[in-house]
Amino acid sequence: MLRQVGGVWFVVGGAIVALVVMSTSLVGAADVEKGKVVFEQCAVCHSLDGSGDYDGPTLKAVIGRKAGSLEEYRYSAAMKRSDVVWDADTLDKYVADPQAFIPGNRMAFAGIADKGERDDLIAFLAAATKDSKSN
Amino acid sequence: MPTRLREVDLVIVGLGWTGGILAKELSEAGMRVVALERGGMRSTNPDFAIPLIRDELKYAVRNALMQNPARDTLTFRHSPTEPSLPMRQLGSFLPGEGLGGAGVHWNGVTWRWTGIDHAARSYYEERNGKSFIPADMPIQDWPMTYAELEPYYDKFERTAGVSGKAGNIRGAKQPGGNFFEQARDRDYPLPPLEPSYSQTLFNDATAQMGYHPFPRPCANASRAYTNPDGSRLGACVYCGHCERFGCEANAKGSPHITVIPKAMAQPTFELRTHSWVTKVMLDSTKKKAIGVAYTDVSTGQEYEQPAAIVALCAYAINNVHLMLLSGIGTPYDATTQKGIVGKNYCYQPGGGGVTLFFEDKIFNPFMATGAFGIAIDDFHANDQFDRAAMGALGGATITVGQSNGRPIGYRPVPAGTPRWGAEWKKATAKWYLRAMNIGVTASNMPNRYNAYDLDPTYKNVFGQPLLRLTYNFLENDKKVIAYVGQKAAEIARGLKPTSMTGPGALGEYNIVPYQSTHNTGGAIMGTSPGNSALNKYLQSWDVPNVFVVGASAFPHNSAYNPTGPVGALAYWTADAIKKRYRQRPGLMT
Repeated sequence: MLRQVGGVWFVVGGAIVALVVMSTSLVGAADVEKGKVVFEQCAVCHSLDGSGDYDGPTLKAVIGRKAGSLEEYRYSAAMKRSDVVWDADTLDKYVADPQAFIPGNRMAFAGIADKGERDDLIAFLAAATKDSKSN
Repeated sequence: MPTRLREVDLVIVGLGWTGGILAKELSEAGMRVVALERGGMRSTNPDFAIPLIRDELKYAVRNALMQNPARDTLTFRHSPTEPSLPMRQLGSFLPGEGLGGAGVHWNGVTWRWTGIDHAARSYYEERNGKSFIPADMPIQDWPMTYAELEPYYDKFERTAGVSGKAGNIRGAKQPGGNFFEQARDRDYPLPPLEPSYSQTLFNDATAQMGYHPFPRPCANASRAYTNPDGSRLGACVYCGHCERFGCEANAKGSPHITVIPKAMAQPTFELRTHSWVTKVMLDSTKKKAIGVAYTDVSTGQEYEQPAAIVALCAYAINNVHLMLLSGIGTPYDATTQKGIVGKNYCYQPGGGGVTLFFEDKIFNPFMATGAFGIAIDDFHANDQFDRAAMGALGGATITVGQSNGRPIGYRPVPAGTPRWGAEWKKATAKWYLRAMNIGVTASNMPNRYNAYDLDPTYKNVFGQPLLRLTYNFLENDKKVIAYVGQKAAEIARGLKPTSMTGPGALGEYNIVPYQSTHNTGGAIMGTSPGNSALNKYLQSWDVPNVFVVGASAFPHNSAYNPTGPVGALAYWTADAIKKRYRQRPGLMT
């Protein structure tokens, strides 16, 4: 049985027969396209571009933003006093287990256990939520 | 003096699932639509946001999302020889109030009713003979077939984001689905949810016994989903706060996140909340409605809203109440068995279930969803099931669900445990994680005395007579519960629990403890004005510009929950108004 791990093919269930480094992706690299699929779970409540009538705050320009800082969104007290700034590391911890990272926040989401999926998601978010005005 | 407003094409009374579906479909078709909702506005954020929504005391004990019985309720008696008394606290059932209605606080179980349900009288006459149906059981066929309704079931399942597994696609049996299902055109829009441990045990045990277990279809989204209208649903997080709560994750198919926002995006649609309709206004012939009278309960101001069409889309009980208050159709009299409106009230007997306790198993009941479950239909939808052996019509589903593990209300303890005190506390702590329930839910056939009328004594906050309910469980119900309850107990014993309670026998109906919000009938549909209040398009025979949409139209109650056909019938009626009634107003045939 073949299984892909970080762009490297292994034969599982016995000795490693072949190691082929995929030319299209480096070992451990996040995949923006896969992240877009992961994001479908988030799209229920979050817009990427600041538009629309959503239950969660927009993720436009989320990277570098202080958590709970959008004036137009009514955050939980937990989120406002969290003192978190969103970057790849804090987003990863939050998405892995939202209630463990910021206890008492209002996001109704169980979290994503798979590290690879989280990496893909964060890569997608970084690309898709850039504020065109500030860039 | 009421303020008379400008006439619209359609006024909708109550904005839950049925009102929301009509509002969306008909405002998108260009009709000018006003919806009057007697409760308030609601949205997921902030109304259902965590952590505040997970307040069991507020929502599950004090019923924050429900009708306030201090303003309007019904009176109750077991039989015409008893005096009736008002239900001053909600108990047996919980009519919702506010935008989205019961579609907000429901669990999400979404069945398609069976072919036997659609042919309720003719099936038994053919299979068991005319004498099998008791003389005082006014059971009758639905005026449309399952096949006619199939596309509308499909539409509702896709709108609400139903998770399930097909058992029969266009006649081809599907492994893993309901073996006894009627043919459907395609599978559910979402795969089933992950079963609980107790459900897995039940699944394996019943399969081994030769029964046909399958995942119960439910409008709790197993994954993120965008419905055909573009409404977005989130993935269920198994938080166990469906029933009596709004969903924090937008994972429960509900009108306030699907059809209602779509209607509200239409310039021809207007919503007025806190607008309590007291009457449908009829002209002097009493054959035509001219609109509705309502009061803004936040100001006390009275209004008249003229409309070419009136759609009653309130809770099933309140639809019947409004018909009787407005003089639409002839009120039913159980003594003479004359009249129609109020007839064939049905409920849904439970009580045959068993609770199992295991020293060596942990079930984690707090990981729950309102509707997920494993069911068997061998004693209900199965048309080979020998009802002569049971001695009764109908049947019951046997299901392991796990709708919640709420700390105040969910306290399973073995038989013989004291009801309070130190021993009770010890037992409830020990068994909270170690109990599972096998539920039995029975169909309910009508009886000539189980009916609504207006109460001669008690009045609501507007001085109008309350609706009076006369109801009791009958011999047929007791036989179904006894027979299928034994089957459930047999399955339970096979699981070798440390101990088990039940099955209980069905006694007299008790309106105090919660059982189910599955009240049906009173404004029933049928093939002629002689046997029904409504025709097959849920149009009043007597006042054809009034449509009465909801479970009030069911001539009997299935062992299945009502919301599937309620949603399907709302789409069916909306279609008939859009494609036929608008072009040629009048009684549709």
